Amino acid sequence: MPLSTQSQADDEQYVLVASLDNARNLSNLLKAITFKDHAIFSATPNGLKVTVEESKCLQANAFIQAEIFQEFTIREDSVGFQVNLTVLLDCLSIFGGSTVPGVSTALRMCYRGYGYPLTLFLEEGGVVTVCKINTQEPEEPVDFEFCSTNVTNKVILQSESLKEAFSELDMTSEVLQITMSPSQPYFRLSTFGNSGNAHYDYPKDSDMMELFRCDKTQTNRYKMSLLKPSTKALALSCKVSVRTDSRGFLSLQYLVRNDDGQICFVEYFCCPDEEYSCCGCLHLDVNGLLLSRRLEDVCCDVFDYLHLSFSPLCFQHLLH
Amino acid sequence: MNCILEGSAVKAFGKAIHALSRIGDELWLDPMLALRSVNSAHSAYAFFLFSPLFFQLYSLGSVSEQDPESIHCKLLIKSLLSLFRCLASIERNVERCQISISTSNDRVVIQFFCRHGITKTYNLCFQESEALQAVFASHLCPNVIKAPARLLGDMVMHFPVSQEEITLSMSPLRVGLRNYYEGGNDLMKNMYTEMSLHPDEFDYFQIGVESEITFCLKELRGLLSFAESLSLPVSVHFGAAGKPVCFSVEDLVLEAAVVLATLVDSESRGPSQPTKTLAPTTPRCVAAALPAASCEADSRKPQDLPAAMELIASSQGSPIIYPLAAADDATTPASSAICSLLFRALSSEQEDDACAVLAFYSDEEEDYTNSPII
Repeated sequence: MPLSTQSQADDEQYVLVASLDNARNLSNLLKAITFKDHAIFSATPNGLKVTVEESKCLQANAFIQAEIFQEFTIREDSVGFQVNLTVLLDCLSIFGGSTVPGVSTALRMCYRGYGYPLTLFLEEGGVVTVCKINTQEPEEPVDFEFCSTNVTNKVILQSESLKEAFSELDMTSEVLQITMSPSQPYFRLSTFGNSGNAHYDYPKDSDMMELFRCDKTQTNRYKMSLLKPSTKALALSCKVSVRTDSRGFLSLQYLVRNDDGQICFVEYFCCPDEEYSCCGCLHLDVNGLLLSRRLEDVCCDVFDYLHLSFSPLCFQHLLH
Repeated sequence: MNCILEGSAVKAFGKAIHALSRIGDELWLDPMLALRSVNSAHSAYAFFLFSPLFFQLYSLGSVSEQDPESIHCKLLIKSLLSLFRCLASIERNVERCQISISTSNDRVVIQFFCRHGITKTYNLCFQESEALQAVFASHLCPNVIKAPARLLGDMVMHFPVSQEEITLSMSPLRVGLRNYYEGGNDLMKNMYTEMSLHPDEFDYFQIGVESEITFCLKELRGLLSFAESLSLPVSVHFGAAGKPVCFSVEDLVLEAAVVLATLVDSESRGPSQPTKTLAPTTPRCVAAALPAASCEADSRKPQDLPAAMELIASSQGSPIIYPLAAADDATTPASSAICSLLFRALSSEQEDDACAVLAFYSDEEEDYTNSPII
């Protein structure tokens, strides 16, 4: 294909070259995390990670392993830059984004290094387009300090069952409350809207529940506006893992199969809603409503701003 | 009150909510399980009555401490509709639906027990409200037609969704349906559609007076869709222009009707009763709007209730069976049974031609003599 006929010499200038026969394998995944204009790209020899953040309370990451790419060459340990995600997606679908089987846009993404634009070579049906997108200094993504040792409750559900619930969520509710417990109601999503409350209960022995590991009862509330973007990732996924840690931070991990059946991951981290979060003490009435609210000093500002490196460990703790 | 619906009954209930959402913004839920709604102009009223047989389980529970008829929950249709929005997914996923009223915290609790053990619980706020009930003497209507829902659906299908009003005309030789435009201007811009059917097309055809009635189509579509989904025949009762028209369906376990006001024919003298109404109405249906007031619960006299309520009460024990299959005569006990079930029985002081009474909210008896408008 035309893209591969570029001279070898050119490649040496690039610190990162990534090629895909089907650009949709990247663009679909990026659409699942597009709720802000800008995204931080972070590449390591293991693959590509794209991060989007919202006011330090929500972070979405899309992981595409190096094996997914037809070609993935990186000349440094880690390459990072920031681009306008909306522009990138527009370029990736520059040929119209039709879904005619057998016809796909091929992509070759090249980056020369700090200060250089991100160059995209896109080809479909013999027509080649070159796009150069300006890059910016990558911001440091927030480290939510969410580690698997701190996880108190974890469930893995088949996405199908959650998709319907999320599409029906009462948007007049400011928060989404998630209750996870070793006893009834096991796993519950609740909303508190203008016309009343709604609760979605998933029992631990449901055949939609692939894994249920809850040690103590936790109820946490998250701003609905923060979690709404995650429904895009949910729609693409076949399985989702929901984990909370001792602070009430939420981790949603989505297993996504791309067009070629390969597995990619999308992950969302969300801070609990400060005013309402409960540390884990049971203050629930029969409807799962918080009877009393304890103002927890869950302060989102205290983070160690560490450079977040991309490691294979991320994959290991996903799903099991 | 606590009742459980299973299987296809859940979908039928959802369809009823959809039909009612076409009428008004609020829904009255009564423990006998009746759902009612009225539009803001009071020119359209609809109700759905479900007999206990419709449910898998039905109990009044702790509500029986107080007079069950006194609880009228008023809900926003919007909130109920969002629960039943996607009927296809309800059909696929919901195995059982439980509806209960909790007066202690003013909630209607609706629970869906779905596949895979998933449970969805909704606690909807309601307002206690006065009763909503319209009185309409459909057995006194001179004109009656009855047809499968499919036929009526096919008839209205020819009109665009945006069509506001249509005119139904009836003569001994034909039943006609055409669209109605106000003003008669812009002859060039509008498309006129008209169709005629022969009386033989209908399961039942009775003509007492040749008439042409114009009513709002949009409000009717919900009932037609409901009837079609359950393959029920639809009965249409009406009279001269200006008097309301009633579209009703029923079967062993439920009955439903939409009562619509019709335009007064400006050329004729019209009925002699006062046509001023309480509620402000849109210009179209100004003359024939259903007068507005709700019953005041405390002013109801005990003897006024039993006529209607007794029938409802007895429906708990035995199924409501209307021998309408043999309804060749509009004045069979069957149709009058429908009327008195649905509405308060009319007092004997009524005029024969019922001109003095359109449809109005029944209250004390003396209201009939003093003024038909409450």
